[in-house]
Amino acid sequence: MFILGFHFPADMGNSIEDTAVLEKLDAQVAEVGIDDITAIELEMGLRGKEVHKITYTNKDTFMFKALAAYLKDETYEEKDGEKYLVYTNRYQMSELSKRLDSDDETMALCKAFDSMEQFRVKAA
Amino acid sequence: MSELRQIAFYGKGGIGKSTTSQNTLASMAHYFDQNIMIVGCDPKADSTRLILHEKAQSTILQLAAEMGTVEDLELEDACKPGAGIFAPDAPGGWINCTESGGPEPGVGCAGRGVITAINFLEEEGAYEEEGLNFVSYDVLGDVVCGGFAMPIREGKAQEIYIVMSGEMMAMYAANNISKGILKYANTGGVRLAGLICNARMTDREYDLATALAKDLGTQMIHFVPRNNIVQHAELRRMTVVEYSPYSDQALEYKELARKIIKNDMKVIPTPLEMDDLEDLLMEFGLEEEADEDNVGKAAEA
Repeated sequence: MFILGFHFPADMGNSIEDTAVLEKLDAQVAEVGIDDITAIELEMGLRGKEVHKITYTNKDTFMFKALAAYLKDETYEEKDGEKYLVYTNRYQMSELSKRLDSDDETMALCKAFDSMEQFRVKAA
Repeated sequence: MSELRQIAFYGKGGIGKSTTSQNTLASMAHYFDQNIMIVGCDPKADSTRLILHEKAQSTILQLAAEMGTVEDLELEDACKPGAGIFAPDAPGGWINCTESGGPEPGVGCAGRGVITAINFLEEEGAYEEEGLNFVSYDVLGDVVCGGFAMPIREGKAQEIYIVMSGEMMAMYAANNISKGILKYANTGGVRLAGLICNARMTDREYDLATALAKDLGTQMIHFVPRNNIVQHAELRRMTVVEYSPYSDQALEYKELARKIIKNDMKVIPTPLEMDDLEDLLMEFGLEEEADEDNVGKAAEA
């Protein structure tokens, strides 16, 4: 099973507890360090078309941690100073964030993430 | 040497199995150095065209008919090395391609082509090629016809990936294929390894695909978004991975490839009863509960 790109062994079944995901995320954050990221810039929409920019700043959320970890994760390549946000990962970020976060800024981002739009991210 | 893994892509006709499978396998070869043999199990013989840069390769059944019998056929006639970055001498993994073929439309049993092809490839030692990591079967439609269940029935394909979308018929087919896997799980050892949502970009498609996967006892391993670059690449008879390796869509296939290589979740599926499937579709707004009073009535003028 894969959540946020992390692999969970098959014997954990197909319903992974949020705590198990958080454990992996925290371990990754501890390894790569995200303290240098104070805000995340997101670009919503197709490249070269009309795009909508969002600056996300709430550092105390699961969502921020997940996005910052994604930015630091070498599995996902950077291009022109930004990273394409894989759809599955971002839907999973939204799914988890809706359970773990509650502030308006994050919920608005979750709503945007639930759309069919494309997203690119970079550290602000 | 790692153990040979035999995987198969199943799914409703027209769902994008061949496109998804070729792009995914191309990623496995190009980004992760995996050596692969594709066995196309569709009479259309379109499971390898993007790897070979060809319209359609000669199928085992066609070649056997030309030669007289399948015994006269040589492996190198029927199994072609991939073109471009998938060639044996190119950096990264290589891909070998073969197509089973099938009878003329409306005549004979297409499943026989699949059986003949697999037997031929086994006898000719195609599965024993040095360095081969994966054999991938790309199988037409669902498993209503037993012939197309051949890779499952005979225990050839061990891991099944079902390509589906958030559309009703695709979900129905995914459930049906799971029933086929269940039927042969104990005799052949076949397992369901995940659903791949080849998105039509319909409302709540991710949620729906995830819910179906959960009910089937498996995972929705990846959501592949729709992107015109796939069609642009196909016009050049190429995978996106080769056409534009740093494109967003290539990164999606790369991520799917990474997961398949690492995937260890192989389950005996728990298919849904028709009523449960309809309940699921209703829950996500794909179907509306029928008002018995309106059944069979034409639309109001």
